[in-house]
Amino acid sequence: MREEERDKWYQYHNEKFGIPLEYLRREYEEELSGKVPVDAPLEVPDRMDTYYKYSYGQQSRFFRELRENKKIYGAKCPQCEKVYCPPRAHCSLCYKPTEWVPLKGTGVIKACTVQYFTTSAFIKKLPFICAYVQLDGTDFIMMTNMEVEDVSKITVGTRVEAAFRDERRGTITDVYFRPVD
Amino acid sequence: MKKVAIVGMGTTKFKARWVDKTYFELAFDAAKMGMEDAGLGREEIDCAVYGIYNDFFQRQYQPDAFVHDYLGLGLKPMVRVNSGGATGGTALRIGYSEIASGLYDVCLVLGVEKCADCYNYELQTATPEVLRAILYTADMTYDNPAGRTAASGFALAVIAHKEKYGNPTEEQMAKVSVKNHFNATKNPIAQSPQVITVEDVLKSRKIVEPFKFYDNCLYTEGSSAVILASEEMAREITDRPVWITGVGASADYVMPGNRPNIHTFESSRVAARKAFQMGGIQDPLKELDLAELHDAFTGTEIMAYEDCFFCEEGQGGDLIDNGTVMPDGELPVNLSGGLIGCGHAVGATGIMQTYEVALHLRGEAGERQLKNARRGLVQSIGGTLCTWTVCLVLEREE
Ligand SMILES: [Zn+2]
Repeated sequence: MREEERDKWYQYHNEKFGIPLEYLRREYEEELSGKVPVDAPLEVPDRMDTYYKYSYGQQSRFFRELRENKKIYGAKCPQCEKVYCPPRAHCSLCYKPTEWVPLKGTGVIKACTVQYFTTSAFIKKLPFICAYVQLDGTDFIMMTNMEVEDVSKITVGTRVEAAFRDERRGTITDVYFRPVD
Repeated sequence: MKKVAIVGMGTTKFKARWVDKTYFELAFDAAKMGMEDAGLGREEIDCAVYGIYNDFFQRQYQPDAFVHDYLGLGLKPMVRVNSGGATGGTALRIGYSEIASGLYDVCLVLGVEKCADCYNYELQTATPEVLRAILYTADMTYDNPAGRTAASGFALAVIAHKEKYGNPTEEQMAKVSVKNHFNATKNPIAQSPQVITVEDVLKSRKIVEPFKFYDNCLYTEGSSAVILASEEMAREITDRPVWITGVGASADYVMPGNRPNIHTFESSRVAARKAFQMGGIQDPLKELDLAELHDAFTGTEIMAYEDCFFCEEGQGGDLIDNGTVMPDGELPVNLSGGLIGCGHAVGATGIMQTYEVALHLRGEAGERQLKNARRGLVQSIGGTLCTWTVCLVLEREE
C-alpha cells in the first residue's frame, strides 16, 4: 500500500474499533508497507459486538430497588423458606413462586481470594478481591464487587456491608461491599 | 448397548499460536490424521460430533458448520457440543452414544480451538482478551461485572479445600507443576515442555492467590480427533482397537449458592463413580494403570485425585508427596504433560487426553510409553467451579 492508503487504513480501523493509531501502526506497518511475503499469514483487526435493550424479566424489581431506593431484596420460597440472593422468581427446588423480602445489606465472606491478573476489562483495577458473600437473611452466596484499601485484610468470616454508588444505573455494580469497621 | 472402540486418532501440535491456520484448517489436519490412522476415507464416516468451546475465540458463531463443510462431510449428521473445559469429554460422550445406540457405525469426534486471535493491543498479548471472551460464560447479570476469572473460581475451591484439610500446600501444588512440565518434555505435541524446580514455581509471579504463574495451564491452539466405531466395524477396521468401557457424566449447579460446599467438586465425584461402576472398577488406584486428569490448575489436579477416588477425601496432597502419580509411580497422572505441560486447547483438550491414554494402551507412546498399560482414565472438567465433568475408562484389547 502507498503511504496515503495506509493512513486511510489506520484511520478507518481507529474509528471503527477505537484502537489507538500508534498501536495499529506498531502492529500493521510491516504488513501494509509490503515487506511481508504474499503467502505469509495475514492478520487484520476485528471486534465482535451486539447492542442490547436487555430485560431483567421477573428480576426487574431487584434492580429498580437498587437504583431508586438503595435497597437489596432477596426472594423467599414460601414452601422451603430458602431465601435467594441473587433473587429468582421461582424456587428451583419446590417450583413455587418466590416472595420479595428486603435485606439489611450486611453479610459475611464465605470464600475469597486476591486477583493479580485478570481480563482486559478489569486489568486496571488490579489487585482486587474476588469473594463470595452470604448476605444476612439469605441461604445463598453471591459473587460481589469488594472495595477495600488493603486486600490482605480480607479473609473468610470478614463481616461486610453494602454501599451504593452515587451514580446508579440499574446494574449489579450499583452496589459494592466493604468491610464493617 | 453396543460396544464402542476407538479405531483411529490424530492430533495437531498444541501451540500458543497457529498463526498460519484457521480453526477449520487445524480441524482438517487432525481429522485427516485420524482417518489415515483408521484407514478410512471421509465417505466412510457416518456422523460427526464437534467439540468447540468459545465462539469469540473462533470469531464465528456456529463454527461447527464450517468445520463440517471443510471436512467434506456434507449431508452427514453432526452436532456441536460446548461444556466449557469439558467440551472434549462431552463430545466423546455424545459420540459414544451415537455408536452405542446402534444409530451409526462410525463417528468422528473432533475438538478444535483457536484463542490467540483474540488480542489486547495495549498490552500486546492475547491472554487478557482471551479471559474477557471467557468471562461471557460467567452469569452476565451478577458474576460477569465482578471481573473474576476461571482461575479465581478454582482458586476459591482450592482455598476452601485447604481450610478444611490442610492441603494442597503451595509446595505440593508446585510439585504437580514440576511433574507436568517435565512429562511434557517427552511429548512431541506439547506446548510447554520445561525442566523447572519447585523453587521456580514458588517464585513465579502471582496470578490469583494461591496460584502462581506456573500453577496455571496456558491457553492453546490445536485440534485433536478420534474415530469411534461399533464392535463389528472395529473388527474390520483395526487389529488394535481401544475400548471405551466406562462413561460417566454430571453437571452441577452453576450458581455456587445452590451447592452445599465448594471444597470438593461433586460433579467430578458423580461422574467418576458412574464411569467406574460401568467399567467394573472397584479400586481405581489398583485397577487403573494411568490417568489423564484435567489439571487446568495444579491445585485442582490434587483435588481430582480425591474426586476420582484414588484416595480418601482430604488426602490428595499425599499422592504427589509420596510419588504415586509420578511417571514411575503406582498410578502415573498426566504423562502427556496435562493441560499445564501439553496445553489447553479447550474444545480439543478432552480429546487430546483420550488420544494420550489410547496411545499408551496401543503401546505407541514412544519415549514416554508406560509399560504394560491396560486400562486408563480420562477426566474432563469445565465451567464455573467445575460445572461439568465427564470421565471415560479406556481399555486395550486383551
Ligand atoms: Zn423452595
